[in-house]
Amino acid sequence: MHRVIAKLSLSAFAGLLLGGAAIAQDFKIGNIYDQTGPFAAGGSKAASIGAKIAIDMINERGGVEGHKIIAINADAQSKVDVAINEAERLLNEQKVDLIMGVYSSAQCVPLAAKVDAAKKFFWVNVCVSSAVFKNKNLQYVFRANIHSDQYGEASCSFINEWAKSKFGKDPKDLKIAIIYEDGPYGVGVAQANEARCKEFGMQIVHKESYSATASDLSAMVSKLRRAQPDIILHTGYNPDITLFLRQAKEAGLKFQALIGHGAGYSQIDKLYETFKDDVNYLLDVDPVPAQLLDAKKLAPGLGDLTAEMVKRYKAETGANEVPPHTSMGFNQTWIFLTDVLPRAIKKYGGYDPEALRKAALDTDIPIGGTIQGYGVKFFPPGTPMAGQNERSIAVVMQFVDGKTKVVWPSAISTAEPIVPLPKGHAYAK
Amino acid sequence: MDCQLDIFFLEAVLNGLLLAGLLALLALGLNLIFGVIDVVWICYAELVMIGMYGIYYAHKGGVPLLLAALFGILLVALAGAVLHQVVIRPVLDSAPINQLLVTGGVLFFLQAAATMAFGVDFRNLGIRFGSITLADMSFSYSRIITFGVALAAMLVLWLFLSRTYVGIAIRAIAQDRQIMPLMGVDQRRIYLITSAIGGGLAGLAAALMVLQYDIYPQIGLQFGPLIFMICVLGGLGSLIGGFVAAFIISEFIAIGGSCFATEWGYAIAFLFFMVVIFIRPQGLFGGRS
Repeated sequence: MHRVIAKLSLSAFAGLLLGGAAIAQDFKIGNIYDQTGPFAAGGSKAASIGAKIAIDMINERGGVEGHKIIAINADAQSKVDVAINEAERLLNEQKVDLIMGVYSSAQCVPLAAKVDAAKKFFWVNVCVSSAVFKNKNLQYVFRANIHSDQYGEASCSFINEWAKSKFGKDPKDLKIAIIYEDGPYGVGVAQANEARCKEFGMQIVHKESYSATASDLSAMVSKLRRAQPDIILHTGYNPDITLFLRQAKEAGLKFQALIGHGAGYSQIDKLYETFKDDVNYLLDVDPVPAQLLDAKKLAPGLGDLTAEMVKRYKAETGANEVPPHTSMGFNQTWIFLTDVLPRAIKKYGGYDPEALRKAALDTDIPIGGTIQGYGVKFFPPGTPMAGQNERSIAVVMQFVDGKTKVVWPSAISTAEPIVPLPKGHAYAK
Repeated sequence: MDCQLDIFFLEAVLNGLLLAGLLALLALGLNLIFGVIDVVWICYAELVMIGMYGIYYAHKGGVPLLLAALFGILLVALAGAVLHQVVIRPVLDSAPINQLLVTGGVLFFLQAAATMAFGVDFRNLGIRFGSITLADMSFSYSRIITFGVALAAMLVLWLFLSRTYVGIAIRAIAQDRQIMPLMGVDQRRIYLITSAIGGGLAGLAAALMVLQYDIYPQIGLQFGPLIFMICVLGGLGSLIGGFVAAFIISEFIAIGGSCFATEWGYAIAFLFFMVVIFIRPQGLFGGRS
């Protein structure tokens, strides 16, 4: 009898163990990026590859607290309605534990509100519009990446810093033109551009929006020729950026500097393929591509992590340049899987949206603690930007002879900017 | 409103005229097909996209630009004929909505197939012809060439339709689809020839567009709605109507964009379109059906 009881007890114990192992089920991420449509080549695909590399590397290390990470990928097709439908499908049919990704701000703004209202968790990897969070008091949506207000501030601060020494003018004598695509991304950056540049006393001589799918921008180019700005601040996707640069050159538009704001401007190898040396010395604001930072200034091990990301990205795509979007996709995914998720499991007993929310709010990574240099601490609920990382940093980069240099902020810059455009340049005044 | 009647305004107006040449050429092929076969090829801009890829790969493969352009024209002419034989012919007697849906299906198929075959990257020949400066106004040679070739194509098409047996047969079929077959005109052959010519015009547009635009699978979305609006505004099937409407729409875009903002130019053009369609549902040059 005792033997029977002992066997039963052993069986029960073994069952408990096996059951315990079964509890460590897969953690499912619903990854939404644009694999097709114009956004795909504008950085969305690069970001999705970055996210995939992070997930692969985590799984190779045994997953998170014994949970294997499963990515269920969805193609938003560069369309807002598709992104929203895919998010609903992933959450309700695939039963994913959270939504991650999203490149376009036009998709991000409605999606964030919708997912938050459903009390599901959304970890935003790429889209930058400040409107995603501003005065929304979202509870279940978090973004470690920078936001569009920072883009606008970075370009104007950069101009202000170099106005006298490089452009030879007082900031109030500099003429600025702001052109932008008319979605939340372009509008958000342009508003911040205007506010910040005006704070420095700069003259806004032209401000104009357009549709990213416009078939002709020549009227805008004519107006820019009339306004004769010293510096053009441009926020666009593709194909509008290439259309603008082409028509600007053909019309003989001249300026001292052009500062782009991410998206198409960050795909420098593609721009170079089309425009060759005409894109030399153009500037771009974005989160820094991790490989451009001095690894010695970051937390130990992050340099190796970046090197591995770059190696895998190049192996997968055959590309020479690794765009910032790859770092964005990789970094945000890495932060979530190595910081937020383990804490949710260990401290809050699982990974339902409530546990993930609490774990995200506990995040406290100091500056230099991520591969893109910034730290992570989220604005708490009840604040105007609740859910947004208050430690994110935008940088200004410059393309010089096919290489990307960080030229602002000076604390982490790797080169001094070459402005105004040198004589002989296609766009030089 | 920022309407300054200066040299830059004039530059914008003239650039609008140059854009009109391309749009008129695009509308020409679509109108020809509708006028003769009575089917709207919603996928017309996607045929242009196929032509652009054809020219791109031919040129990158070492074929001189002019020969590559000729290859693109023939490729899309062939694609037009195949489209007619395989997709349109079986639904010629179906309800118009079914014909529309079928060509809509081809649109999505071509976009998806191009994405799978060519990837999502934006491609470009990297050819620049420079520009000409006149009285402080600047115009690109590629736009001027496009305008000239588009006008020449329209003239050649008009001569073909009015001076050749096949051309006259095409016009005759367009006027009466029931009677002409009874008078010995081979309707099937005329439809096939018309589809190939319509495709060839799309190929010609592709050859001109590779000089000005990036090539990517969704470029049809950039032009498709605009071409369709021009055709409807001019009167579906009316070659002259499409030509005039292209200039009207282009100037709305140019002047609206110059006086207000670029996106307002398009908004005003679409508003004008809606007003005209309310007043003349058959379009400016369309006959009452």
